[in-house]
Amino acid sequence: MLVARGLGMRFAGPAGEISLFQNLDLTIADGEAVAVLGASGSGKSTLLGLLAGLDVPTEGQVFFNGNELTAMDEDQRARLRAGRVGFVFQAFHLMPGLTALENVMLPLELSGSRDPRGEAVQALEAVGLGERLTHYPPQLSGGEQQRVAIGRAFVTRPRLLFADEPTGNLDQGTGERIIDLLFQLNREHGTTLVLVTHDPALARRCDRVLHIADGALEAAA
Amino acid sequence: MKAWRYALKLLLRDYRAGELRLLAAALVVSVAAVSSVAWLADRVGEATSGRAAELLAADRVLEGAESLADRFAAKAAELGMQTTRSVGFPSVVLSGDRTQLVAVKAVETGYPLRGELLLQSGLGAPERRAEGIPPRGEIWIEPRLLSLLDLEVGETLSLGAMDFRISELLALDAARGNVFVSLAPQVMINRADLAATDLIQPASRVRYNLLLAGAPATVDAYEAWLERQDLTGIEVERPTDSQRGVGEVIERARRFLGLSALLTLVVAGVAMLMTVRRYAARQVDRVAVMRCLGATQRDIGWLMVWKLIWLGLFAGGIGVLAGLGLQAGMLALLSGLLPETLPAPGWRPAVVGWLTAYAGLLGFALPTFLGLRHVPPLRVLRRDLTGRPTGAVTLYAAALGVVLALMWWQASDVRLALTVFAAVLGTLLLLGAAAAGLVWLIRRRQRRGAGLLQFTGLVRRPVTSTIQIVAVGLGLMALLLLTVVRTDLLTAWRDRIPDDAPNYFLINIQPSEVPELEGYLNDTVGVDTRLYPMIRGRLVEINGEDVAPEDFPPGRARGLVEREFNLSFREQPAEGNRVIQGDWWRELPAQPPDQFSVEQGVADELGIAMGDRLTFRVAGRTVSAGVTNIREVQWDSFNVNFFVVSPPGLMEDFPATYITSFYLPPDRTDVLPELVRRYPSVTLFDVGTILRTVRSIIDQGARVVELMASLTLVAGIIVLLAALQVTAEERRFETALMRALGATKQRIRRMIRWELLLIGGLAGLLAGGVAAVAGHAVAVYLFDLEYALRPVLVGYGVLAGAAVVWLAGGVGTLRYYRVSPMRLLRAPENG
Ligand SMILES: Nc1ncnc2c1ncn2[C@@H]1O[C@H](COP(=O)(O)OP(=O)(O)O)[C@@H](O)[C@H]1O
Ligand SMILES: [Mg+2]
Repeated sequence: MLVARGLGMRFAGPAGEISLFQNLDLTIADGEAVAVLGASGSGKSTLLGLLAGLDVPTEGQVFFNGNELTAMDEDQRARLRAGRVGFVFQAFHLMPGLTALENVMLPLELSGSRDPRGEAVQALEAVGLGERLTHYPPQLSGGEQQRVAIGRAFVTRPRLLFADEPTGNLDQGTGERIIDLLFQLNREHGTTLVLVTHDPALARRCDRVLHIADGALEAAA
Repeated sequence: MKAWRYALKLLLRDYRAGELRLLAAALVVSVAAVSSVAWLADRVGEATSGRAAELLAADRVLEGAESLADRFAAKAAELGMQTTRSVGFPSVVLSGDRTQLVAVKAVETGYPLRGELLLQSGLGAPERRAEGIPPRGEIWIEPRLLSLLDLEVGETLSLGAMDFRISELLALDAARGNVFVSLAPQVMINRADLAATDLIQPASRVRYNLLLAGAPATVDAYEAWLERQDLTGIEVERPTDSQRGVGEVIERARRFLGLSALLTLVVAGVAMLMTVRRYAARQVDRVAVMRCLGATQRDIGWLMVWKLIWLGLFAGGIGVLAGLGLQAGMLALLSGLLPETLPAPGWRPAVVGWLTAYAGLLGFALPTFLGLRHVPPLRVLRRDLTGRPTGAVTLYAAALGVVLALMWWQASDVRLALTVFAAVLGTLLLLGAAAAGLVWLIRRRQRRGAGLLQFTGLVRRPVTSTIQIVAVGLGLMALLLLTVVRTDLLTAWRDRIPDDAPNYFLINIQPSEVPELEGYLNDTVGVDTRLYPMIRGRLVEINGEDVAPEDFPPGRARGLVEREFNLSFREQPAEGNRVIQGDWWRELPAQPPDQFSVEQGVADELGIAMGDRLTFRVAGRTVSAGVTNIREVQWDSFNVNFFVVSPPGLMEDFPATYITSFYLPPDRTDVLPELVRRYPSVTLFDVGTILRTVRSIIDQGARVVELMASLTLVAGIIVLLAALQVTAEERRFETALMRALGATKQRIRRMIRWELLLIGGLAGLLAGGVAAVAGHAVAVYLFDLEYALRPVLVGYGVLAGAAVVWLAGGVGTLRYYRVSPMRLLRAPENG
């Protein structure tokens, strides 16, 4: 279970402090798929980062399965993430210079898996890239790169998956197939999913849709 | 705003933003290396040039047999010139139970006619001009002789059959004939005391000099008269001659150091290329905006040129100052080898430094900078437009062209420059191929599933990794060769000399002394040795053609014909000699006495072949014979050997002295003082002392070269840092991603450490490997030494490389792993 209480985020701007949002409350149950909808610049990615423990809020607390992320230091949060949290980014963010297979192996190596290679091969086969194991990112299309990223996200069977505009850099058709894949794997693994998007159609495929606007979070009608 | 002012403003801003620091550092190191050599050469050169007459102590010096000079002295007196005489020869001084080889100079009133003698009344006492020459019974000695003999000023030492009181220390005699310290310390006595020493015997190695000085017109008149005289047996030295010898040594050292300095520039050039490329890429937007606002391509071009002019001015200035400091360090390393007081540094080396800075910028920076002219204004709207960056061919052509030009300038010889250029390029390519191969091997291992987290940093950037390995490896290799391999080779050479190889030589033995001395050596001293005749003769003809020094290339060959040969005669070939062409006389059916056996090296040097007829002039007579065999001689056996030998019949009635060598165990040296006392005119050479002196001179020289190699390593480290800077963006992203995937800081630090240790270790592996192979090859093929491949070099290399890269790179990468994973959500393209 992922719980946020009284979350607030302020930045030091050129003209004094800017408050992006304040006093957000949110509870996400295990296995639930939640979409966060909002305009560009509304703070979606920032919120996702806070929920994932990539950053700490200026106010409030975040709990993951009863552990208070906001009371941990960076390394403690990293250890907690290893193998338990997966990410899919808009810009794919694969490591250049590593093959598709090696990219998928990385989180396994970090979480101390016994057979990183075997598991990574399986994961790539699951996303339909069994034939592309030794390709480097530039040799893959955008859709294929995002598939690798999805393989990387699911390979450790994480409890929680964060996706930040996963189709943002893809054309519509490819984007749809990627989303199908994402939801399919999510169902298979029973992963909790937090998906950030500005695409209402995509958001509707989740169990619950939240709107972020003017620093406040509201459940969509 | 004027382009030059705007350029300065932009440059300072970029520098503060940290954009240009490594470029500047690379320039400073190159300029420091090149200008330090220039400073050194300039000061040492200055110390000798313009003082040519002082080096000679006169305007002209005539050297020849004692009586020959009378006629020439008379003519000089007639023309109203000043004259004086001096006699120079090697001998041995004796104090208590210590003996020491010295160079004796016996002078007459008036010495020196040009230049000055500086004296000290004790060690560390102020120097003052000598008012005359040593009074009778007194001796002036070089300060280092005091410690060699454990003496003080005012005490007594023996020279030949006479005792002298040490009354002054000879701080400077410019006319020592050389600015460099010679092996034997100099002592000076009054010519009037010479006879009483009993040192001069027929056929001794003695130089009788007649020194002349006068107004330029008089000197010219005398010179004109000289031309009409028969100069057989007389050598005329002019100021330019003595300067030429010294100048050649300095010039050769300057070339060598200058070319080593360019190695630093080559490596630093790689760093420049890398940083400039990144800098230019980051300038594209700024240039595009300027173009939009109406700047022409010309304007942009000038702006870039001005930036480089300013950069060269500042970095060049700092480099020149650093070079001045380095030069002081080099002089400190060479202390004792050079005169204590050198002229103050001049301004020319500074110009050399600045020219180097601009040459470097011209070769490594300007082409990339000028590429920015082609950034299209439309870039402000379409970010994918980058214009037309300068092509690789132009970049490399400019860089290599400038390097070649600089080498030509330093070598002042096209062929040498091309050879060095090819060697450097070849080494770089070889190291590059080897480094790329190693990276590839590791990559393959990783592909097979080993060490993804350890090796990933290295193999993901194969090109930059390879460049880093080569740059650091080159510096390490130079250092390893100069330190470990050099000491190894010297040791191997010393080890090859048998323990009981002769360690003392006796020369100037009079024929009348031979039977008695031989008996003394064999019975009293207890060494089993024979005495060999030695006849000094000048090679005057080969196959009836006159031999002129000018016909031979400067260096060893010319030196051989300029000086006198040591000839000998004997029945049997000497021990350790091997006839490689022709036959020794005993093997020939008829045994005519007019035969010569020539040492192989001399024969090669002078182009002498079997059957050639050689003519020598010995004491006013000539002797000719044909070459009937060529010998190989093992010189470092320290046995007595001669370049040219004849059968006994040919030269027996020529004036000869005898020579011998023998081994005396260290615990028997107490017999030497008695030997010197008994045979005062015999000169004793202590090989051990001479070898130690030679070795310490080699060591001192090598340390200066090591300093240059350290600069190359510094340049290698700058390349390492430049590569880290170039990949900084990539590294920040990687760190952020690894953190998001759950890596702790410690883990990331460990990955970076692995990458650095691998780069350093591989650089050291290559450096040690190449140094071991090169050392082995040089030892075996060049010096014919037993020197096995030394794998330990690889160990040293790996340790040193890993340590250096870890330390330097650890500081350079600190910034890159303090990155928040949040940047992944805020990548520029992330909406
Ligand atoms: N560290 C920060 N410092 C200053 N401003 C920030 C920082 N992080 C985010 N912002 C600002 O917060 C706003 C929301 O950013 P983000 O969460 O990326 O929005 P979204 O993902 O909804 O487009 C943006 O205007 C961004 O500039
Ligand atoms: Mg966003």
